[in-house]
Amino acid sequence: MLNFLIVIFAVTLIYISVAERFRAYAKLIAAQGILLMGIALLELKEVNTANLVFIVAETLIFKTIVVPYLLFKIIGRTGIYKVHAKALPGFYSLILSLLALVLSIIMANALVNQYIDGVYLTIALFTLFTGVLLIVTHKLLLSHMIGFLVIENAVFMFSMALGNEMAMLINIGILLDIFVSVLIISILINQIGSKLNKMEAESLNTLKN
Amino acid sequence: MILYYFIIAAVLSIATLTLKKKAVTGVIMAVFLSVQLAFTVYACIHKGETELGYFQFDSLGLIFLIVLTIVASATVYHGFKYFKNRITRRFFYYHAALIGLITAISGAYLANEATVVWIMVEATTLTASVLIYHEKTKYSLEATWKYIFLCSTGIAFAYMGILFLSMTLNGEGFQGLTFASIAQAALHADPLYLKIAFVFIFIGYSTKMEIFPMHTVAIDANSVAPSPVGALISTAMVNMGFVIVFRLYLALSATSIFDWMNHILIISGVLSILVAAGYMLKAKHNKRMLAYSSLENMGMVAIALGVGGVGYYAAILLLVAHSFVKSSLFFQMGQLYRVLNTMKLDNSGNYMKLHPAGALVLIIGMFSILAIPPSGLFVSEYLIFRSLIFNDNWIVMIITLMLLFCVLYAMSVRIMHIVFSEPRTQMNLAVSEKIHPAETITQFVFLAVVLIMCFYRPLALDQLIYESIAFLPK
Repeated sequence: MLNFLIVIFAVTLIYISVAERFRAYAKLIAAQGILLMGIALLELKEVNTANLVFIVAETLIFKTIVVPYLLFKIIGRTGIYKVHAKALPGFYSLILSLLALVLSIIMANALVNQYIDGVYLTIALFTLFTGVLLIVTHKLLLSHMIGFLVIENAVFMFSMALGNEMAMLINIGILLDIFVSVLIISILINQIGSKLNKMEAESLNTLKN
Repeated sequence: MILYYFIIAAVLSIATLTLKKKAVTGVIMAVFLSVQLAFTVYACIHKGETELGYFQFDSLGLIFLIVLTIVASATVYHGFKYFKNRITRRFFYYHAALIGLITAISGAYLANEATVVWIMVEATTLTASVLIYHEKTKYSLEATWKYIFLCSTGIAFAYMGILFLSMTLNGEGFQGLTFASIAQAALHADPLYLKIAFVFIFIGYSTKMEIFPMHTVAIDANSVAPSPVGALISTAMVNMGFVIVFRLYLALSATSIFDWMNHILIISGVLSILVAAGYMLKAKHNKRMLAYSSLENMGMVAIALGVGGVGYYAAILLLVAHSFVKSSLFFQMGQLYRVLNTMKLDNSGNYMKLHPAGALVLIIGMFSILAIPPSGLFVSEYLIFRSLIFNDNWIVMIITLMLLFCVLYAMSVRIMHIVFSEPRTQMNLAVSEKIHPAETITQFVFLAVVLIMCFYRPLALDQLIYESIAFLPK
């Protein structure tokens, strides 16, 4: 069951690399939240109950409900439904995504030791690369935001690679999610939309020497 | 005591937001500065002690805590001057966030555990972003977005670095993520993991240390934030980034990756100076020029750390002197804006006629920041070059010297233009403000401290620096 959830999570990463509609992004982020909850629930059996409840509540409430809700709100408010016309075409994104997956497998094999779960490490690296690719190959701020959220999920996966030992670290990682993601999304909703005509990264390129 | 410090700071910050009275805010800030001073004195008296398990009053933390307390006092003073003749709607948010920022930086200096440091750094990002966004312009929105986005991504990288450390140290009798236990467990850890962890953490905190590769975020923030805030970000915050990198460097210095870390630091340092020199040569914005100067100085610090020997001493001394010079220059930029109503270089000029005391600060500050004798920075940079020669790092030395000449040329031409030349375009002096020379006293005091440091450094300071670097390989 655990491996099944991890594979599904990897599939969402490939899907997110080629998706071109923001509603699909929001749904995938929500799906990743549920999958992370399932993985945490199945994996962290030896963690004390309070920590486990905290982790599960945050993945379910925060990653699955609050963040996707805010994303849908931004999409509705800005009226931006598709990625930028100049964004990398889906085919090339797919190739890059698969290359990232291969690179992740190679790196994880080189890095794995007796204290780390190789599967989690592979997926964590793949999630990290996917997030970075989203930021680098897209032009809209909303895409960058999605990239950041994916990187946050990579941090969660890295925490999972450590297993039951590092419950406190996992909690802190989740706190990062809460503070920063909500803050960034709030700025995006409340300020950028009203101050800038376009939600393009170029719009935030006026600070020069 | 540190718990009370955090509680009092939180209460004062909340009180600023809830009471919303300008006179009361003045009293609150005076109380906060008194608490900050009392806490600093307490920390000095209880040197070496640990509180709450996660905060230690060690020599390195104390040096920068003292510097922070001094710079913060001037920051608060200039903050009140900044609000003169301005809309005060965001006055209360500004001061509440300022209290939060100073407190979080203090906590980061003293934290002895990687995750606690990380939480403190996260707190500085949140509070600093409120201050950067203060003027609510399109530019401040851009700078704030980039600041939060890049700092958060950087912090996520740093967090992954911490996790990598945990991964490699898990089976080595590892007792937690205090820097002391990392140092112990790292001796037997896998070097590959240590390297990855160091790179991740270094890149992550380079956003705060204002050093290559993630320096851009701080450049934008410094140029847009109110000048007193810019002073704090480019000194105390930069020092915080250094303290974190230094603690990790110290913890891993006894491992086999020590030489490799030095190479990374030197490469990052040279690239920082290269970027700073390049951008300073074409800088058209007065505060951005100062921000790039910070990048150049942090590049020197990284080189000093990487080269070792007397470079360790020079690195910390440079940071102390830089804090005083750079903050006084930023405070002066705030006054310059009030007089000239611009930050654009082409619109600036005749400053000696319009505000002679301020012009004098700019000239002395320029000599000081460029490490021209009798500046305290000269001693640091002399020691760094001596260390480079001693280690036969001739290529690094020559490249660095050439780049420093570019920085010297770029900055002196610009400051001289502001002070003595006619502006290249029409100035708008209709809203020019007359500034009393007494307002520049703090800047002259800071600059005097740096000049004195060229000839005399207090024994207590030397002792703290030597204690901080005592466990590094000679």
